[in-house]
Amino acid sequence: MSPGKISKAYLVPGLPHLVFGKKLQAWTELVRGYEQAGDNCRKSKPDVLVTYSTQWISVLGHSFQTHPNPSGIHVDENWYDLGDLPFSAKVDVDLTKQMASKAAGKGLATKLINFDGFPLDTGTIVAQHFLNADGSVPVAVLSSNVYANAADSMKLGAAVSEAIQESGRNAVLVACTGMSGRFHTTEIDFKKDEFSNAADDQWNRRLLKMMEAGKCGEVLDVMGDFAANTMADMQFKAFAWLIGALGVAKARGKVLAYGPIYGTGAAVVEFDNAS
Amino acid sequence: MAEGKILAGFLAPHPPHIVYGENPERNIPRSTGGWEVLRWGYENCREKIKKLRPDVIIVHSPHWMTVVGHHFTYLPRLKGLSVDPIFPHLFRYQYDMKIDMELAEACFEETRAAGLTTKKMTNPNFRVDYGTIVSLHMLNPDWDIPVLSISANNSPYFFSTKVGQEQMVQLGQATARAIKKTGRRAVLAASNTLSHLHFDREPDLPEDMGREHIYNNDQYRWDMRLLGLIRAGRTREVMQILPEFIDKTASEVKAGSLAWMLSAMGVPEVPGKVHGYWSVIGTGNAVVEWDLTQQAVPAGASA
Repeated sequence: MSPGKISKAYLVPGLPHLVFGKKLQAWTELVRGYEQAGDNCRKSKPDVLVTYSTQWISVLGHSFQTHPNPSGIHVDENWYDLGDLPFSAKVDVDLTKQMASKAAGKGLATKLINFDGFPLDTGTIVAQHFLNADGSVPVAVLSSNVYANAADSMKLGAAVSEAIQESGRNAVLVACTGMSGRFHTTEIDFKKDEFSNAADDQWNRRLLKMMEAGKCGEVLDVMGDFAANTMADMQFKAFAWLIGALGVAKARGKVLAYGPIYGTGAAVVEFDNAS
Repeated sequence: MAEGKILAGFLAPHPPHIVYGENPERNIPRSTGGWEVLRWGYENCREKIKKLRPDVIIVHSPHWMTVVGHHFTYLPRLKGLSVDPIFPHLFRYQYDMKIDMELAEACFEETRAAGLTTKKMTNPNFRVDYGTIVSLHMLNPDWDIPVLSISANNSPYFFSTKVGQEQMVQLGQATARAIKKTGRRAVLAASNTLSHLHFDREPDLPEDMGREHIYNNDQYRWDMRLLGLIRAGRTREVMQILPEFIDKTASEVKAGSLAWMLSAMGVPEVPGKVHGYWSVIGTGNAVVEWDLTQQAVPAGASA
């Protein structure tokens, strides 16, 4: 068996608005970028899509979904009026368990989650919608541990990478996260969505430039300030997870789309590991 | 129609562990017990609620967190399986709740009239959060009293504790006015833990009480300080001290449930009866009752 690889990786938003973007004629650029990511992802013919979502929050360490086929209808607790989010995922249970085992080996607390009726989170479902719409590609789904810092998140990423390598799988990684996290707090016209805070926009752009310049180490260095200043989604540690898996030296991003979702920062960034 | 009133308010913490410890038929996981002192405290509350025969129980839950305004459940019935995404091994609960629609509408209108952003939750596939379910189950496991669920707007986290608490006070006053206008005899439930630092590991047997203790003594002392004021009926001081309490204990009351409830009750200077206090995975939890029937305080007396 040849060693596995991570052929591509994505930083993507997880708010449900984009799923309904076409219907609502809003967030056009982000929807286009997400669809482009979906096309590129399919071209790399992955064996597995590994998703870390900031909207699956855990407190007892890092959780790993091991139900073979989580399915159902999810309704977002905030944006329930946008519509239902039906889901059905095929989980690569063996690889997921191996990831958990590798993470435990690095001293991280882990928990396998295998329960009928367990609600997949909005972010994971949104990413599935764009990157794996027919659900044909098996997935691994990981939680975002509230108490993990950037270093722990990088360790988790490294564990994921090692497990992929040993599995022989061709994997695509998905860090499902927002950037700046300051929502509008009143009703808005979706078509006129804009950043709730201009300084947040500047921070987001600064980080995206660093990613495009291959300076992901610098992003890690300023992540704390970014999070403190922009109320970043789960301190932006999904990015640390991604870089932990890709390796800081190799990672260079390409921004496929960027814009606001209900005032927060959202970007679709592609990391092409094959290039 | 007689003027509505609030009969009682309960601080009704919601760790799923206490439902798990009780082994009700509606919850799938089985336990060997655990957290009895809290559960016994809730038994007292159940008896009290049976005697009061309220028309409705209104619960404000931190685990239905909304970013745009304060939301009310607005469907005649909500039914389903609630699997707690945090503790799914402890809580997979079949709920079936009847919503007081007229009161929901009135609360929505009063909240809007108060200048707050508000919404009615009308999606039938909506999964009710475990905070709401645990508090309601522990207060009335028969589910034979209509309910109304209110979301926790995250203004305390977005802006500041002060701004958030001010909103919760307004929301409480609006709730009281709605109760009064609809003639309801209401019981309120603030679904809040007190000190909220907790362990990120659990024993192999989650209900191993040999491993259960408060996170640290500072947290305990702060909880006791707050409960001391509550027991003494110094409710205005409770409201004043909440921001500091939140700051020192990472308390879940930051989400606003307690401030909402005390405000709705008119910040009554009556002693709260502490039915039980214990830790759950390190957090401080108290089951507390404010009986307003003795004082015959009309809804929103100070609103």
